[in-house]
Amino acid sequence: MQKVGIVGFYQVKLLSDANYGRYEMIFEAVRGALDKAGLKKKDITTVISCTNDYYDGRTISNAFAVEAGGAYLADESKVEMDGAHALLYGMMRILSGNHKLAVIWAGSMASCFPYHSARLFETDPIWERPSAYVNDITAAGFQMRAYMEKYGVSVEEMAKVVVKNRRNASKNLLALEEAQNPNLTVKDVLDSEIYADPVTELMVAQPCDGIAAILLAPEKQALKITDKPVWITGVGYNQDAYYLGDKDLSESKSMRLAAKMAYEAAGITDPIKEINVAEIFEAYAHEELILKEALGFAEKGKGAFLNSEIDGELPINPSGGALGGNPPCGTGLIRIIEATKQITGEANGYQVEGVKKALATGQIGMCAQNNIVYILEGGN
Amino acid sequence: MSKRTQRKSMGYIKKDYIRTRTMPGSWYLSSYRFKFNITHFKPFQDKLKERKLVGLQCSSCNRVFFPPRLICGKCFVKPDRWVDLRETGRVATFTITYLKDLETGEVSERPVVLVQQDGSDTTYTAQLSPDVDYKDTYIGMPVKVHWAEEPTGGLMDIQFYDLVEDNSKDLELRKD
Ligand SMILES: [Zn+2]
Repeated sequence: MQKVGIVGFYQVKLLSDANYGRYEMIFEAVRGALDKAGLKKKDITTVISCTNDYYDGRTISNAFAVEAGGAYLADESKVEMDGAHALLYGMMRILSGNHKLAVIWAGSMASCFPYHSARLFETDPIWERPSAYVNDITAAGFQMRAYMEKYGVSVEEMAKVVVKNRRNASKNLLALEEAQNPNLTVKDVLDSEIYADPVTELMVAQPCDGIAAILLAPEKQALKITDKPVWITGVGYNQDAYYLGDKDLSESKSMRLAAKMAYEAAGITDPIKEINVAEIFEAYAHEELILKEALGFAEKGKGAFLNSEIDGELPINPSGGALGGNPPCGTGLIRIIEATKQITGEANGYQVEGVKKALATGQIGMCAQNNIVYILEGGN
Repeated sequence: MSKRTQRKSMGYIKKDYIRTRTMPGSWYLSSYRFKFNITHFKPFQDKLKERKLVGLQCSSCNRVFFPPRLICGKCFVKPDRWVDLRETGRVATFTITYLKDLETGEVSERPVVLVQQDGSDTTYTAQLSPDVDYKDTYIGMPVKVHWAEEPTGGLMDIQFYDLVEDNSKDLELRKD
């Protein structure tokens, strides 16, 4: 397989209520990525965007972002999932051999709509919506409790994930200000407003405004563009059952299978030893534990026992993760950017020492129904 | 659903800025009509009218779906074997929603449960009887269907689930 390299990236500062129009936020991210890589509009051969018609308040919402995203009179398409899925589409465009530079941009502005209410419309109109108020928060409540009950994990362990990630976010200048807190305690998390018992406000990755962009190029081009390319050496993705009632909520089968696919591609046999840092998209605190178990970093139910601090056994979300700010559709792409920064040594303030291989994940759906995993490596 | 909202779903916003303005948008979703196949769960609906429950079993993997599913994702076939289910089940997991009535501002604390009907391999999103205090809800709690007064052959015939007496502790004692 031909190598595909990340040759540029840019993320705007995450804001809870941005004093921006959506257009200019997209432009800042894509223009920023091009400038960082020393490239121009004419170098772009394909653009993949990732937004959601619902979240954008208009149909075929990529149509409005043509100019801002660098797609004017260019090959252009959209993925309506997570930015991490859009990156896979961009990678496939590069691997087709027809493209020299792919722009992938993703994100939205949660300040423009009631995000959690919009997610009510993700449930089944016939079998679920009439029975009860089920949105992403309710589903997280179901899952957190199922996980805690099955493995005897305390709610304090959920709160510890929040404390770690929000503390990490306080060192990340691009994280959401409201999410940054170096002095947060487990008690603060448990005492914050209850959303869907046992899920409290601070356990929710706060939806916010933000756009991120990544540039991909085939090996030959990548080496011309940058002397610090980061290669995608493995990718895996998997989809679980739609209905919440049709799967075991205490684990993530889709992530386990996605990870298997990615590890096989990258030749990884002992993930905990071979991977130096992981950026995991945790829309809720408990997801970090369930997903790290599914990634093979810990046994089922034992995720909380693996030290994932910046100086721990396996640092997870040194950037703060999604709990450090969650712009719908953009969060997974930001995880990949953060993993890239760890390899290139650009994670100012939260750099993990000696990162050679990094892992990043994206997800979409209730209780992380669909998961996607990337393995990234540096070197020429 | 439209009259209630999650207590803090719009809590983050909004200030007036000099650089930006907002304009109201609208999604005309209320005019949307979902169209769905009813032939595959006709027997289910007929049974509901008689206050009886049936699950749909996949004859390939033997999983029993309740409520009935059109397709078994695992085997990629249409399940076609109807099996009788009891009225009883257990709470597989639950959460509590805090919903605010937009007119009165009153917040109600309600448990929402996933119920595993006895004899079924899947769970069903449901509510508990208003008599059950949300603080008393637990995983494994035995429950029983509370039927609507006049079943019409729709899912709403299962109005909610009543608590039934829990004998599991006695069973454990007997094991000892
Ligand atoms: Zn089957």
